[in-house]
Amino acid sequence: MMSPSITQVLLSLALVAISIGVSRWWRIPVAKDMALGSVRAFIQLVAVGYALKFIFDLESLWLISLAILVMILVGAQAASGRVKSFKGVFPVTFTAMIIGSLFTLATMLALDIIPLEARYVIPLAGMIISNSMNASALAIDRLASDIRNNELAIETSLSLGKSWRIAAGNFQRDAATTGMISILNFMKTVGIVALPGAMTGMILAGAEPLEAVLLQIIVAYMLLSSVTITSVVAVELTVRKFFTPFHQLKKV
Amino acid sequence: MPSDDAILETRRISRAVQDGSQTKTVIDHFSFSFKKGNIYTIIGPSGAGKSSLLRLLNRLDEPTEGDILFHNQNIKEHSPCRLRREIGYLFQTPYLFPKTVKDNLLYADSKLPADVIQRLTEQVQVPLSWIDRAVDTLSIGERQRVALARLLATNPEVVLLDEPTSALDPSYTESIENLVRSIVQQTSLTVIMVTHNPEQALRIGGETILLVAGRLVESGPCERVINNPQTEAGHLYKMRQLK
Repeated sequence: MMSPSITQVLLSLALVAISIGVSRWWRIPVAKDMALGSVRAFIQLVAVGYALKFIFDLESLWLISLAILVMILVGAQAASGRVKSFKGVFPVTFTAMIIGSLFTLATMLALDIIPLEARYVIPLAGMIISNSMNASALAIDRLASDIRNNELAIETSLSLGKSWRIAAGNFQRDAATTGMISILNFMKTVGIVALPGAMTGMILAGAEPLEAVLLQIIVAYMLLSSVTITSVVAVELTVRKFFTPFHQLKKV
Repeated sequence: MPSDDAILETRRISRAVQDGSQTKTVIDHFSFSFKKGNIYTIIGPSGAGKSSLLRLLNRLDEPTEGDILFHNQNIKEHSPCRLRREIGYLFQTPYLFPKTVKDNLLYADSKLPADVIQRLTEQVQVPLSWIDRAVDTLSIGERQRVALARLLATNPEVVLLDEPTSALDPSYTESIENLVRSIVQQTSLTVIMVTHNPEQALRIGGETILLVAGRLVESGPCERVINNPQTEAGHLYKMRQLK
């Protein structure tokens, strides 16, 4: 099993120096960002390392839940910040992500696919939440811009006596698909174009490739489930913001 | 007091909308009683609230004040979806779903029998052979007719037309006007048509409502409202039109 020492980590700073050198040479104004980014990544990762060690050692269900909740809160905040088309979507991203993530984790625990141990739950929750975050932001943004760009089509449906659900149905489906598209593409190319992170990590850490593959398959299915549920819930909650109870299109 | 032959009645309806930091009144205490089987034109300068009024009658928007009665019953007591099929609305630039003519008619009513489709196409003077044509091969005037047929497919009692000829050239304008008149003659439909052109209101006939800044300033037989207005605002509007 490969276990890098501090010296090796410090030596890898040579790669940062090369990157800064190259961008300086080409006058790409990112040297400062690169330096700051490298320091930030170092500090954040070391901090999370200690935090995880603390949580793993304590092995408390409350602490696991708290860690997941904090991850979802931060992820939902980041997702709502990324939705440019309309404001105040934090409650939507938070609800969608919490339902998508917890349902998926609960299913895995209930079927005994993973044991209820911080070492397994927390890293998988992290993968689930970051994927759900992207999915909810993309789905909401797509829905909001589609509704805005198709007001006449939607109001034509409404004026012909259709419910808002029918009038917005196609846009809802398109938006949910947009949320799911990256995981669908990932599943199409996984193992062919790139080796995914979880599997690479396990192989680097000394695991047998076939073991690593089995875990990666579970990870892919897990992400599919969380992203699907998160996208559908996000779209379902967002579309309601655009209509009144009397099937009128609101200008949000 | 509800009027017996009124099919649609507005009672001091207003609508205010937020325009930046200001509140703008687009419809201002508008009261009127539309009678069954009649044809009405709504005229007035641009920005007078003509389209806003039609949207309220179709309940695409909610009045901030006042009531609308359909068959003497407040429209709030109707299901909005059913009401919109009874009070149909044709948008100024009609939207057709990017499929065939027939698909668009079936969108209004998926169980539309073949003989009704035939009658509708005859009514709007669209050749039956066009039924399988993709709508993007149609001209603006032809699209207008298909949209009208689709609207009639919901079997409405009242039809709201928002400047149906604004994008058309004169020959098409005349044929749409004839079409509207013939539909009213053939059926017991009530037609409420917005136009920015008083000449067109005279050609259509029936009663005319003059709307200025969201207010009803004059109403009555079209000849009188347009040629012989009784109010100062009516005179002002006539003078502007003559210029």
